[in-house]
Amino acid sequence: MRRNKYGIILPFLAPAIILYSLFVIYPYSQAMYVAFTKWKGLRKSPRFVGLDNFEKMLGDDKFWNALSNNLIYLFVLPIVTLGFALFMAFMISQKVRFNNFYRVTYFFPQVMSVVAIGILWSFVYHPTIGIFSSLLKAVGIKNPPVWLGDPDTALWSIVAVTVWQSAGFFMVIFMAGMLSIPKSLYEAAALDGAGRGSTFFRITFPLLWENTRSSLVFITVIAMDMFGITFTMTQGGPDRSTDVLATLLYEHAFLHSRFGYATSIAMVYFIIVIVLTLLIFRVTRRETVEF
Amino acid sequence: MKKSGISRRRFIEYTGAAGMGIGLSSVLPQTSLAKTGIKVASGAANPLGLASNTQAEGVFFSGGFGHAYIEYAAEIFGEVHPGSSMSVEGIQRVGERLRPRIIAGNPPDVIDNSGAGNLDTGALVGEGELMDLGPLMSAPALDTPGKTFGETLFPGSQNSGLFDGVQRYVNIAFTVFGVWHSKSLFDEKGWNYPTTWDGMLSLCDTIKTSGIAPWTYQGKYPQYMLFGLLEPIVSKIGGPQIWKDVDNLVPSAWEHPAMLQALNMMKALHDNGYIMEGTSGLTHTESQAEWLQNKAAFIPCGTWLENEMRSITPGGFNMVIKPVPSDDASRLSWIDASSGEPFMVFSNGKNPVAGMEFLRCLLSKESAKWFAQNVGSIMPVVGGAEGVDLSSAMTSALAAVDNAGPNILDRPSFPGWYSDIYSEVKDSMGALLTGRASAEEFIERVQGASDEVREDEDIVKFKRT
Repeated sequence: MRRNKYGIILPFLAPAIILYSLFVIYPYSQAMYVAFTKWKGLRKSPRFVGLDNFEKMLGDDKFWNALSNNLIYLFVLPIVTLGFALFMAFMISQKVRFNNFYRVTYFFPQVMSVVAIGILWSFVYHPTIGIFSSLLKAVGIKNPPVWLGDPDTALWSIVAVTVWQSAGFFMVIFMAGMLSIPKSLYEAAALDGAGRGSTFFRITFPLLWENTRSSLVFITVIAMDMFGITFTMTQGGPDRSTDVLATLLYEHAFLHSRFGYATSIAMVYFIIVIVLTLLIFRVTRRETVEF
Repeated sequence: MKKSGISRRRFIEYTGAAGMGIGLSSVLPQTSLAKTGIKVASGAANPLGLASNTQAEGVFFSGGFGHAYIEYAAEIFGEVHPGSSMSVEGIQRVGERLRPRIIAGNPPDVIDNSGAGNLDTGALVGEGELMDLGPLMSAPALDTPGKTFGETLFPGSQNSGLFDGVQRYVNIAFTVFGVWHSKSLFDEKGWNYPTTWDGMLSLCDTIKTSGIAPWTYQGKYPQYMLFGLLEPIVSKIGGPQIWKDVDNLVPSAWEHPAMLQALNMMKALHDNGYIMEGTSGLTHTESQAEWLQNKAAFIPCGTWLENEMRSITPGGFNMVIKPVPSDDASRLSWIDASSGEPFMVFSNGKNPVAGMEFLRCLLSKESAKWFAQNVGSIMPVVGGAEGVDLSSAMTSALAAVDNAGPNILDRPSFPGWYSDIYSEVKDSMGALLTGRASAEEFIERVQGASDEVREDEDIVKFKRT
């Protein structure tokens, strides 16, 4: 009976494992090798150079600049995005009027392509015909910020777009969590005279812990990536103020023909995401409440 | 000093734009083909020895010029070599599309490596991927009797394709670089194009008072100010050796006093508030659109500007190109002109001969005329604009080149050779023009990038004289 079990499981798993190995594990392991080489991305084979690329990275200002921009996203995005998402989820689950309308509207950006969002928001931030600058001019501010053209505002402009784009997704995750909280808990709290605020902080939020954990991992991955929106809106500019690891490695690979170095950046980036994910799961581990 | 240029008054003759053309030796027998009407010169039908029934493959960047002109050249190719053909595929982001095929050792026979996301030329040459086009250059021209292919191209137009003296690609579009304005606007306001940079600044003051921003540039792509202003101003102040030293990675080449002076002249545009508000947040087409609405008076660009903005150019705008003024009025006419849009043949393609033969057809007089007529730009082919009506923009560009006479300025090669330096110039230029870097800081940053390239053994170095 035991032996038979594996005989049945294996054929079912095999196609997925083979495809995954072929299209994910194999290219990843190849890429890991490239990280230890110098390669122009042309016909000649990569040349093994050991840890040279990683050594170079330590002294590369552009690498540290890109990483620090990623870190800004990493600190700001979870707080702002998840905060917004939680707030919206809570409000909508309060049975407000036009509940469904809000739900669809907030989720909508999530189904749009990143490139479309980038182009759309470039128009919003456009210095002469953009809605922000026009509004500011209308209320008498003569020289509104050049949102995407000024190193001081470009990064924060991208933060705003990312929050706008991703908050709806996390809202849906939180709403699903809220729906599964038994009504009896709320009824009991109401009987005990708890207000909206204490109901939220004492019942809703603690019981959403599992949703919060996975949301944190998702938003970490978003903050460490940021390629699509950056590439369509600023390409890392002006003067590298919005450069992130993903755009920097793209530049090294495809502009400067340094595939080895680019891949070593990708490796570091990969390790950071893995470590952060494990860390988040470890730090936020709590006993799950069963209901 | 060896000028890449064309002697005074010869230019109009070269292009044949005035309808004169060069008296071609029509004594030699020619065969006229039916479909395209091309007259193949005697003994010029197949000098490279293309095998019969060759089915070759071409993949080409399709941007502002489109790729109908390439299809027309393929038609010529097919007609000159019955039974053989060249396929034409127009694409964007050439590098991303073709890299896998190059790695696999299966590249197309001929490509146009232009546009955003193209392949790094320095790396292609350094790794030996590109064919030596010497045989093509010395082969008889297709429809100019008694001349080699190389002799039918504008003098100096193929210099950028020379790597250590070997021709690795050919440029097919002749481009003039300078400062653009609307002639109608200037006539209406009674403004005259200045002859010196001081004159430029005082005109800017007048323009600003009238409520129009004097300048804009292609904001998110500040490198337009490199070829629009920095290149010619530095050459005009300091002579042609500076850019050669920059290209040859001579230590402290960027620290030349002329560089500092030129950068400070440019910075004055920002310091005086002459650059349109919001410029740094605009893309190239957005800033050009603002300029077309007379929100700014001047913009730097090459002659592709007209084509690029054709669909939204207001009637009667009358765009004209002028050389940038410098400290010396007598050097006003000196102008940057060169050829671009590089076509390359792969050394390990299936049919490198077909690739070269195709380029001979593409840069034939017949094909050049078709290009001038239908695309509105010109190929660097002698007599290639004979009898063709050119737009006001192109006419002003050709007049500017004619005025420059022998003083066609040599353009630097480092943007194609060393992408790292070019990236640093782009970033620093943006910083300079928004007041975030001084001219000294610009030089320090770019010289630093140049030093890094020089010390990096993995970057293949090139030399030029």
